Amino acid sequence: MSLAQTSIRKILIANRGEIALRILRACRELGIATVAVYSDADRAALHVLEADEAYRLGPAPATESYLRGDLILDVAERSGAQAIHPGYGFLSENASFAEACEGAAIKFIGPPGSAMRALGSKTRARQAADAAGMPRTPGSVQGLASLDEAYAVAEGIGYPVMLKAAAGGGGKGMRAVSSRNDLSVAFSAAVSEAERAFGSGEVYLEKLIERPRHIEIQILADEHGNCVSLGERECSVQRRHQKVIEEAPSAVVDEDLRRRMGEAAVRLARSAGYTNAGTVEFLVDDDRNFYFLEMNTRLQVEHPVTELVTGLDLVHLQIRIAQGEPLPFRQEGISLRGHAMECRVYAEDPENGFFPSPGKITRLLQPGGPGIREDSGIYEGWVVPLEYDPMLSKLIAYAPTREAAIARLLRALDEYVIGGIRSNLGLFRRILSDADFQAARIDTGYLDRMLVESGSHVEASEDSNAAALIAAALFEGMRPANGGGANGSRSNASEAQPDASGWKNAARREGLRA
Amino acid sequence: MTIQIEMDGEVRQVELLQGEGGRYRASIDGEPAVDVTAVVLRPGVLSLHVDGKAYRCVLAESAEGTVAYVGGKRLPYRVDDPRSLKSRRSRHGGSEGPKPLSAPMPGRVLRVLACVGDTVEAHQGIVVIEAMKMQNELKSPKAGKVVQLRAEPGATVAAGDVLAVIE
Repeated sequence: MSLAQTSIRKILIANRGEIALRILRACRELGIATVAVYSDADRAALHVLEADEAYRLGPAPATESYLRGDLILDVAERSGAQAIHPGYGFLSENASFAEACEGAAIKFIGPPGSAMRALGSKTRARQAADAAGMPRTPGSVQGLASLDEAYAVAEGIGYPVMLKAAAGGGGKGMRAVSSRNDLSVAFSAAVSEAERAFGSGEVYLEKLIERPRHIEIQILADEHGNCVSLGERECSVQRRHQKVIEEAPSAVVDEDLRRRMGEAAVRLARSAGYTNAGTVEFLVDDDRNFYFLEMNTRLQVEHPVTELVTGLDLVHLQIRIAQGEPLPFRQEGISLRGHAMECRVYAEDPENGFFPSPGKITRLLQPGGPGIREDSGIYEGWVVPLEYDPMLSKLIAYAPTREAAIARLLRALDEYVIGGIRSNLGLFRRILSDADFQAARIDTGYLDRMLVESGSHVEASEDSNAAALIAAALFEGMRPANGGGANGSRSNASEAQPDASGWKNAARREGLRA
Repeated sequence: MTIQIEMDGEVRQVELLQGEGGRYRASIDGEPAVDVTAVVLRPGVLSLHVDGKAYRCVLAESAEGTVAYVGGKRLPYRVDDPRSLKSRRSRHGGSEGPKPLSAPMPGRVLRVLACVGDTVEAHQGIVVIEAMKMQNELKSPKAGKVVQLRAEPGATVAAGDVLAVIE
């Protein structure tokens, strides 16, 4: 069997959370041994539990653990790993780290450092897009040296404009600026946020496209000059430039547009000597013009929706490419089937300004059944650390049509319970039930408008309220009476079993009250 | 037995009569009693049948109290202990008097946007804290004067820590 003839026999996964687990599973499927690394906050994390080997990096802050390329390389050498998979975030788009791996004769599963440098920085990528003849948004193609330069560029292209971190991602170091008055504050905020998040304060300006859709093309390139596009993902449902729901295919992309965007993406990747998996992001306006936004030189969070509609496993393919295999298919061999949609489940509270909600998951019921995939890194009892991104899991539905995928997600959301901390599961119910979303009338401002228009309160039906009241009363009755305090031990109410003694105790307590 | 439960902003009376084998009669706010059967599948997960309708009720404890999850809804509740009025009073303070601004989650203070003695508007930003890589501006709970400020840039704060007091 060809899978058994891999040259890579052990992979170090330089990441945490759901993506570390997702990569680990792919390695298992390919018969490759796994090495996990972890910070002090993650000793009890699932990726550490499931790996074949696991090594401590350092204290909880990422700068002392998951961003310590030197320590990670040490672990790779010590454990005999032949390759490192960086996942997304952390060191995944760090060209120096990719080169350090190469220097240590350890394969970095991703593009070469040179391609990362050419495309990973958003400003250099804009230069590369010009060279590859791709349409892009008007604005600077270099970092802004000063606030004065920012004013000059903004005047040149006209407000509103968007400030972005050259090294950025996930909306960090990013600010929309509607007028000259707001530029100064936004500029310093973007620079300082970029500095803290990415270690580089370089920001640039581009024209803000009104109500754009965010549509991106997945590409795969092997080390023999083959490069293919795997169709698009639409990620227009965003909050503060963070993707919230992603889907494939996009409701507005037809065969012709898909081909043109795919060809542009492949052209850009080829021009930079790109290899492995990557994503070229575009903004698409009302007239279906597309503008190059940036390239993500790594596996994306939302890669599962592409996997579902293409039937391919992107992590398997990344590993095969990394060990020098040619792509097992050509562009003509790629076809899309069905519809996939992903919800990014976060530990945050949509009813309270989306505040992060780290803490212990005291109760967890995970969805399943036909067409449901859940990529998660959590379990009941896991304490979500406050040091890292608050994503808990990705809930993905696959169905023959968009409508059926939405219905499937709604069904899965009803099965899904994350207790103990706040999550945004309720937000997805609202979005997926919204008429505009169902009609695919979405753009990158859609969610912010919907949140303002519909308020945050969800009405509970009287029926489920009554059931909840009875359940609460039953659990209260089961609460073991505690000799120590008048109220018993409140923290144990939901742990109780309905045994006779619980009821006797409750009755006794009731008697005391009477 | 009768239990008072505060849910969705209302105090409700639930009366439960236990029968045999997980059967109960339940009445809410004095309405006619209905047949209920209940089975705990595992801690915190209850299969509840109310007059033939089936519900999956999940209960979870959190820092804020107990929450019931039923039919895709999240319903925080509190069991009222009639002997203790103290807890109820303290939770229903009006807009009069000093109001604390507390950290809603653990994090690190990034910036302090006001000084002691400043007059601030309701919802004006007072402190910026960073948690889970996100910056969050904590806003004044009311219009008034900043009488206390306990946040310093760089300091680590726990959920519930009072960072400022507005009077």
